[in-house]
Amino acid sequence: MSNPNIVSTDVLIIGAGASGLATAIHLASLIEKRGVQRRILLVEKGSAVGSHILSGAVIRTDILKELLPDVDFNEIPLNAKVTRDSILLLSKSGSIKSPIHPPYMGNQGNYTVCLGQLCRFLAAKAEEKGVEIYPGFAVSEVLYDERGKIRGAKTINTGVDHHGKPLDNFQAGTEIEAKLTIFAEGTRGSLVKTVIDKFDLQKGRNPQIYSLGCKEVWSVPEGNIAPGEVYHTMGYPLNLHEFGGGFIYGLNDNKVAVGLVVGLDTADPTFDVHAAFQIWKTHPVTSKILKGGKMLEYGAKTLPEGGYYSLPKPYVDHALIVGDSCGFLVMPSLKGVHLAIRSGMLAAETALSAFLKNDFSEMVLKEYETAINNSNIYREMYPVRNFRQAFAKGMIPGAFMFGTQLITGGAGFSGKVGVHADADATQKLEDYSGKPFRKRFAGKLDFDKTLTFDKATDIFYSGVHHDEEQTVHLRVNNPAAYHLNIEQYDAPCQYFCPAEVYEIHTDRNGHKELRIHSENCVHCKTCDIKEPGDGITWMTPNGGNGPEYQFN
Amino acid sequence: MVIISLIKQVPLPNEMRMGDDGLMDRTKAKSIINIDCQFGLEAGLQLKKYYPDARMIVCSMGPGSFEAALKTAVSMGYDEAYLLSDRKLGGSDTFATGLAISTMLKYLGFTKNAKEPFVIFAGRQTSDGDTAHVPSQVAENLGIPQATFCQSAKPDGKGNIIAKRIIEGGYQMMELPMPCLISLTPTGIPPRKPSLVGAIKARHSDIKVFGVDDIHLGTEKIGINGSPTIVAAVANIESERPPIVLSEGTSESALVNSLIVNMKKGGNVLQHKEAKEKAEKETPDFPIIDTRGDYKHILTWAEIANGQIARPSLELFTPARHLADQLGGDTKIKTVLIGKDVAPQAQTLFEHGADEVILVEDDKLEEYLVLPFASIITQVIQKQKPEIVLFAATTSGRELAPRIAVKTGSGVTADCTGLEIGEYVNRKEKTIIRPILHSRRPTYGESKLATILGFVYPQISTARAGTFEVPERVEGRVGVVSKFKPQPAEDDFRARILETVRGAGGLQNLFDAEIIVSGGRGATSDGLKLVKELAEALKEQGLKAEWAASRVVVDEGFAEYARQIGQTGKTVRPKAYIAIGISGAIQHLAGMKEAGTVVAIDHNPKAAIFRNADFGIVGEYEDVLPELIEQVKQGFTFGIEVSKRGDE
Repeated sequence: MSNPNIVSTDVLIIGAGASGLATAIHLASLIEKRGVQRRILLVEKGSAVGSHILSGAVIRTDILKELLPDVDFNEIPLNAKVTRDSILLLSKSGSIKSPIHPPYMGNQGNYTVCLGQLCRFLAAKAEEKGVEIYPGFAVSEVLYDERGKIRGAKTINTGVDHHGKPLDNFQAGTEIEAKLTIFAEGTRGSLVKTVIDKFDLQKGRNPQIYSLGCKEVWSVPEGNIAPGEVYHTMGYPLNLHEFGGGFIYGLNDNKVAVGLVVGLDTADPTFDVHAAFQIWKTHPVTSKILKGGKMLEYGAKTLPEGGYYSLPKPYVDHALIVGDSCGFLVMPSLKGVHLAIRSGMLAAETALSAFLKNDFSEMVLKEYETAINNSNIYREMYPVRNFRQAFAKGMIPGAFMFGTQLITGGAGFSGKVGVHADADATQKLEDYSGKPFRKRFAGKLDFDKTLTFDKATDIFYSGVHHDEEQTVHLRVNNPAAYHLNIEQYDAPCQYFCPAEVYEIHTDRNGHKELRIHSENCVHCKTCDIKEPGDGITWMTPNGGNGPEYQFN
Repeated sequence: MVIISLIKQVPLPNEMRMGDDGLMDRTKAKSIINIDCQFGLEAGLQLKKYYPDARMIVCSMGPGSFEAALKTAVSMGYDEAYLLSDRKLGGSDTFATGLAISTMLKYLGFTKNAKEPFVIFAGRQTSDGDTAHVPSQVAENLGIPQATFCQSAKPDGKGNIIAKRIIEGGYQMMELPMPCLISLTPTGIPPRKPSLVGAIKARHSDIKVFGVDDIHLGTEKIGINGSPTIVAAVANIESERPPIVLSEGTSESALVNSLIVNMKKGGNVLQHKEAKEKAEKETPDFPIIDTRGDYKHILTWAEIANGQIARPSLELFTPARHLADQLGGDTKIKTVLIGKDVAPQAQTLFEHGADEVILVEDDKLEEYLVLPFASIITQVIQKQKPEIVLFAATTSGRELAPRIAVKTGSGVTADCTGLEIGEYVNRKEKTIIRPILHSRRPTYGESKLATILGFVYPQISTARAGTFEVPERVEGRVGVVSKFKPQPAEDDFRARILETVRGAGGLQNLFDAEIIVSGGRGATSDGLKLVKELAEALKEQGLKAEWAASRVVVDEGFAEYARQIGQTGKTVRPKAYIAIGISGAIQHLAGMKEAGTVVAIDHNPKAAIFRNADFGIVGEYEDVLPELIEQVKQGFTFGIEVSKRGDE
């Protein structure tokens, strides 16, 4: 009590995305039913709930009815109900509609949604139930007790210079002591990463692998696309070695969400998802829909695609991991929101159990994993457990293996399929046998600023902002050796980063050095995932920093 | 000890927001605590370091939505929050706002004679109103000393506050007894982020909301009807510069050579669009009334800086003469000259257009101090009864005018760029008031030009420095010197100046410069070294060159306030203006739009500066400038002829 910088809570939830909010709402409902009082504190690094939320998104909505049984379904801010759902195979200039709808990709009865808007709605519901939500605060450190158990977390120190030295306006971070900490940080959580390492939670499992999605929301003339009209594309501009595809979702009010998602296991060290996305937009299928429109917002985010075999152990003493932080996402439909909400609800049930027994050790928290395995999370993820790994070997072998998996119920002919971490998939320039990205798409990389945009323009439309005075939140792990990444890989970060954070500057003498423009960062964490060698570490910047998504 | 902060919630400034279509959106703007007020909040928290047990109070006036700003202040470290919120306050001008806030403070017990010492912090000015009046007016209403445009405030351990006040070309250290009011420029210690414990405290704290009746404030002098000024008209401001000629080339030297060639060829010429004649609104046939009574003539104040009449005070004679001519009759320009041994300066004033100099000499008045000067000028006004009083909108003029206005009950229009005599058609009363002063000032971040009218005499305005030219000096022109002995008030010397420091550069040099090299945020990675080097190289070529900075750069401490170009900074009109790493925030553009040739260098081709420049290079300044400096050393002077100033 003597230290004014400590707060205590029963439950600390880190992150106000779908999974964190679902945990909060469901736990609040459960304890209310039991008539007990528990403090639930939710901290979010975005300046507001929804600021950092980016998703396609077409979602399954049944779970919302379960989460909010007392709320009228029509009150939930969903966008358009899916009315038409097609898969298009794109060649360079033409397209054919896939004659059959691949299994696990149907969208009947689903809704397009602005996930940020949905999260703002969920946050309001959570607050009604007594959850305290504090947006604009970044949690930068997990706190451990003397036995090495998680005892909470601490918000970032603000008012420091680039080296972390306190300035006159220094404000020490707040220690949040919690009986139970829920990590709901989203994809590649910067805290979860340290927890997984410390407790070796990935042991015996595949490493997590990711895709990067770049997305724009446009306002288009009436008639270009109907609300609820949904397209997924395969093929152009990706080749058969690259996993991924595009999406076009017709939204209400003549808005449309377009995006391209590409697996980060690309071998080409110069592969640029943002540029590929721009090129994809020039394909007649997309450009026709965007014609005469205006881009409203840009964003980028990674998705955990490793599937069932990449899930870490989702609990340790005093902590649970939910949503994208854990990797609950079902392929090939790339759907994670409903699983995120489910995982949050299951975590809430486990939390209640822990409260009732007043035991927050693994003995009780292991119920969470059991619950996951008895839920639709398992039922949806297990049959496609080898799907993504198969495609790590290319689209044709992938399709073949996926075919065999369909027959065998997911196992394929080889049981569990292993996979490399994405950074390890990056090849050195001299080893890479294909045409490097810039050569491959030569002539297509001049963006017209009407249909296609350079990164600088796009990030302006993400509303991104970072405080000047703070430690740089992106750390090259071994600066002394970074010249190797420049020499051998041509500094992949300058290509894969969808927000032009990394720049290789060549001075008059031809000397090359890496410049980091961390103020552009949209928090997608690709650099943490994809940079080869000693890599880059993404840490959280000050609370309230980062993109300011409104339409995502 | 009580530390009080006055804050206002404002829409997020233009350059920081974006609408649905990617264009600036005024309607759906998010709100923030006005930036200057945030610096005030921080200054209060800094002072708390010396008074750990101080009560921390934050106050605001505005609609209920302002509670959000107050909660933020609590989460930063304030304890109590008060909001004055009443529909009857709607449309209040600065005079009425100052009155209302000071009445709330008095109601809370913070009067001149309060037992407990207190310090009030405020922001210098707000981004939506931009007047800088309210702090002075609150201080005047409370009868306490003030220091405006300050960068920091510390206690001296003897019960005084030592404030560092930014003035043209330097700064002043002031000693103020408590209670006092300090207004902060955004150049001090940046506002801290809220802490999570603070946010939790704010969530569970109550904000006390007062109505007008609660604090016993009558409705006579507040709201739209009680305010002495009205906004009569608002017009859009549009760019007047032709499209830019951008340099071409793949290397730095090619880009710079291309610039030199382009500048030799000359830039684009503006295709003048035929100005649409707006159908003059028909003036109704109402009776014309003259409400001036026995108020007559124009009064100005001649500010002394470095022993000379400050240039902005001489500029005042241009609009003053224009107004005198418009008013006709025998309207005279009378100028108040206050100081120690300043009588010889009267001749300068006559030669620039003063008809009469009202001379106040006293050894104690050697340096400008707001309290005695406000008191003296008010006494002059009461005796002379001028219909118009003009001040230059310098750091002194902008705190003096509002403080005097409270004493005379007048409205003040801040930072005018246009002054005309016109009329006011009162459709309600079916009368036309003529003549009346139309004070035009840029507002809403320089995007609109508002016309403000005041109905209480004298009508007071401050004129933006650099906007009007200094009138031609007429050697030997004479006028009348009349000495004035003010009623002394020892109390007016409670606050003291400890030290005045004026560096090289600053206001005067920027006005005189033929060429200004100005650095923005994009030129700070070397701490403006290259910017200064370019200016130095131009000087060596024999040009009157000076370096300057954008508001952000000044805010971040890379340059002193006196070098700031832009809104509330200054308007300059050099022959050439070289903008380096400047994005072109609208207030900056306002400050340099009078320049002859504008050259912009920035890495972002989308920067607004390129739409307001004649020549440009898109590139990193670190790469381009060394090349450019080299060219300057070999004789490139941006098309300015080096005049032979060869007597020394």
